[in-house]
Amino acid sequence: MHDVGGRPSAAKVEREQHPFAPWEVRVDALMMVLTDAARPGGPLMTTDELRRGVEALPPAEYEALGYYQRWLRSLIALMVEKGAIDAGQLARRVEALAAEHEREHAAGAHE
Amino acid sequence: MSARFTVGDAVRVSARGCEGHCRTPRYIRGKRGTVERICGAFRKPEDLAYGRVSSEPLPLYRVRFQQRDVWKEYRGDAADTLDVELYEHWLEPAGNAYE
Amino acid sequence: MSDVIDRSDEQWERAFRELLIERGLFTQAEVAAKVELMHSRTPALGVQVVARAWFDPAFKVRLLADGSAAVRELGIDVGPLKLVVVENTSAAHNVIVCTLCSCYPRMLLGLPPDWYKSIAYRSRAVREPRAVLEEFGLELPTGVTVRVHDSTADMRYLVLPMRPAGTENLDEAACAALITRDAMIGVAAVHA
Repeated sequence: MHDVGGRPSAAKVEREQHPFAPWEVRVDALMMVLTDAARPGGPLMTTDELRRGVEALPPAEYEALGYYQRWLRSLIALMVEKGAIDAGQLARRVEALAAEHEREHAAGAHE
Repeated sequence: MSARFTVGDAVRVSARGCEGHCRTPRYIRGKRGTVERICGAFRKPEDLAYGRVSSEPLPLYRVRFQQRDVWKEYRGDAADTLDVELYEHWLEPAGNAYE
Repeated sequence: MSDVIDRSDEQWERAFRELLIERGLFTQAEVAAKVELMHSRTPALGVQVVARAWFDPAFKVRLLADGSAAVRELGIDVGPLKLVVVENTSAAHNVIVCTLCSCYPRMLLGLPPDWYKSIAYRSRAVREPRAVLEEFGLELPTGVTVRVHDSTADMRYLVLPMRPAGTENLDEAACAALITRDAMIGVAAVHA
């Protein structure tokens, strides 16, 4: 799905540039930190592992997701694969952050 | 580094499939081109993609293709070219133009 | 503002990063350092290289032979970047693409534009480069060969655009002001 060179396409190249969201900038930085060859003890992952992770996305997801959304999913899958992070723990942390966000929003709406 | 090919050699890209990760685009497989330069020695992406970082580096080449040899209905100039970086294990000698 | 931000991505990124930091794999400061590093990388660095090549023929020869080494001469630390510089001439115009993902000389030009990473560009630039260039508004004189470079492996590419006519009386800084990022990718020419 990622191997798109020469794939028939009538689509015009969209020139609009979206401003990077802070989380996207951080995903880019995370990639650099994780693949940093200069890290003592070696990099935590290789660029090709990241690419492999992106390429492993189901085709529908690959097309529908934004660039950094693909990267984030790949980084997460890889670090789970390597045992550096526990998928269940990650999911619980995401839920906790979402709940915190909801509470802050609800508090704001009452002001 | 001992390189199998030298600048100017005619080479053909393997038409094999790729399991897992590789950096040989489908559109160039089976195509014939000419070595434009030797880029140096690098590790196989097939290995790096699974964390096998200790494999032996092998030569990486830039290979130049005539666009009309790559695309059946190429609509540009006959002289237009397409340069692709390809690892040695994906290349074979091409011999004459009719192979 | 909050309706623009995708909450879910923000939360996954934050949770992921915090857990790895808590695990001791890296620090917040290291992440911040990379953010800062990429902020410091903009096309202005590439512009410097192109302008120098226009004004110093011996530098240009070295740049075309070993892009990374020549760039380091200018005091630009490009880290492990392996740069190949391809020169536009009256006979040939170069254009860069990464069909497989988005490989780009980030340490020299900064982050790539969205269009460079788009499926439309990646699929069409190798197969119909002239149509793509036309869409970008680039008109090539008759008889100019188009050379496409697919960044499939370890090399990264910079197009050395032609110095336009009408700049003979401009100095290096004035010429530099004319050079655009798109010209260094190959989808534009430099105009006086």
